[in-house]
Amino acid sequence: MKGEPVVAVRSAVRSPSGAPPLGEGNGWRGLLEERAAKAARKASMADRAAGLVFKAAAAVSLAVLAFIIGIILVKGLGTAVRPSFLFGRPQAMKEGGGIGPMFISSLYLTFLTTVIVVPLGVGAALYLAEFSRDGRLVRLVRWGTESLSSISSVVFGIFGMVFFVIYMRLSYSLLAGALTLTLMNLPTVMRVTEESIRAIPWSYREASLSLGASRWETARRVVLPAALPGITTGAILTMGRIMGESAALVYTVGIFVRKPPLSPLQPAAPMAANIWHLYTEGALIPDWMRVASGEAAALLVLVLLLNLGAGALARVIRKKMGIVQ
Amino acid sequence: MAGPTAHSWAGGPVNPFKGQREAAIRWTLRICALTSVVGLVLMVAFLLRESLPAWKEAGLANIFAYEWNPDKGRYGILIFLAGTLAVSLVSLLLGAPLALATAIYLHAYARPAWRRVIGKGLEVLAGIPSIILGWLGFTTLVPLVRRLAGGTGMGILPASIVLAVMILPTVATIARDSLDAVPESFAEASFSMGATRWQTLRRVIIPTAWPGIAVAMILGLGRALGETMAVAMVIGPATAFPRNLTTPTHTLTTKIMLEMGESTGVHRSSLFAMALVLLALSMLLILLVRLLSRKAVREFSGGVLTC
Repeated sequence: MKGEPVVAVRSAVRSPSGAPPLGEGNGWRGLLEERAAKAARKASMADRAAGLVFKAAAAVSLAVLAFIIGIILVKGLGTAVRPSFLFGRPQAMKEGGGIGPMFISSLYLTFLTTVIVVPLGVGAALYLAEFSRDGRLVRLVRWGTESLSSISSVVFGIFGMVFFVIYMRLSYSLLAGALTLTLMNLPTVMRVTEESIRAIPWSYREASLSLGASRWETARRVVLPAALPGITTGAILTMGRIMGESAALVYTVGIFVRKPPLSPLQPAAPMAANIWHLYTEGALIPDWMRVASGEAAALLVLVLLLNLGAGALARVIRKKMGIVQ
Repeated sequence: MAGPTAHSWAGGPVNPFKGQREAAIRWTLRICALTSVVGLVLMVAFLLRESLPAWKEAGLANIFAYEWNPDKGRYGILIFLAGTLAVSLVSLLLGAPLALATAIYLHAYARPAWRRVIGKGLEVLAGIPSIILGWLGFTTLVPLVRRLAGGTGMGILPASIVLAVMILPTVATIARDSLDAVPESFAEASFSMGATRWQTLRRVIIPTAWPGIAVAMILGLGRALGETMAVAMVIGPATAFPRNLTTPTHTLTTKIMLEMGESTGVHRSSLFAMALVLLALSMLLILLVRLLSRKAVREFSGGVLTC
């Protein structure tokens, strides 16, 4: 409302007969000019105020992030960096326990899930972007992927429990958790991969095909290498999500173990799920707050490393492959 | 889906299929692609199977009721449904304005360096595990609310604050993308008529990007609906209707999480029924997003045509 008259008034000043501006004595013109100037001042003040509001909002968003990271690290990093904590044995009834088995479980589960979900997701994205001709099938797959990505992690968790743990007889195990998380993270891997495949210029494929390469040869030798930086970034970001997942694992993998798991068929306790265990049944351990804070800090550091490392690794790959972007 | 659809492999001068190996690879990739559909179908099927006793023995009227008392055969989920909706809506109320303002800053005001820094910050925020946000809420927010409002300090308010932080990156990133998608000529036209930045944003850019911004908020709502751990650690829990913002209550997700391990029979089955309700809710939101994006595409091309 306030700002709008500017334009209208200016044209009114100029328009009547196209006559040259009259002198100061003309009351109409003076009045209009004054109003125009006033409106312009108002508009510029509103503009400046809006700018301040938006800048403040962005600052608050950054501050929230800094607050979260700061508090978690201040409260737990001192505990987390001690080797006797990170690699130590957990204690149940007395103080001073570590999170060794949980640490190993997290790494193990992340590795296991990644080696299943990344090939599967890349294959699916390759199909969608390079091989599909059937529009109905593509629509079906997109619908399935989109729906999967909207489902709550606890729903994945109880589905994993009835399907992988009970129906497939995997019992509480790393594999049951990895398969559940595969389903959960498949949409992300597919989306990221498809985006980076579609970003490759069409001429690359034409060049390959014109040399007599088949579709698969083109996909393997031209498309996938060119999409590798994007796929790597997506894979590492997915690893971060797997590392931090808890709700889907409580009823598929487990929340507490005394010894690190060896086989994928053994139960385990990833750090994120173990924090939940400490929260719900922590009273069993006298210093459970200390353990949970330390575990949260260790988890956060791992996730941050993965998040910040993803982009850096992609840059390194690009440089090595000589891709300039 | 902005793919090179104009170029198609089909019907080219060269038949790029070389025999059986190519066909086998094609089939393998097709199976990879179908995994998501198979997984979704399995999921719905198994949730239906497990929740069948609840639908059969308790019945719809018993499930969509207020009273929850498994010992007496009462399986009403409305308290939890109300908790879920309350927590999600309040978190959107708290988080969306901040997220949208941040998105507008990134789109229109930020210098490239700040744009990169804050964009990366939002990415990092999105990657912070929900269990850590829940733990932080439990150790800092709950004592604060307890001091200010009394009681246990748990309830809808702390849960909504934690969720507002969780949906902030989702809403901000998608809203920024839809603002960025408005053609630059729109802003140029507005500037050329002497409009200020704020006038241009309010009259031109935001109205044009509106469907995309709505999608951002719906996706944020969806994320809030399904969040489990962060909410479970600060909401109570208590099976009581949320009378105000600082009394302990439950949501669908927290009820499922806390009772799945120690329930049997119809009680356990009713938790699967809750999961099915949750699934239906998120599917509904996805449907809404689809309708809105179609609208966005239509309006958008209309706008381009007129200028």
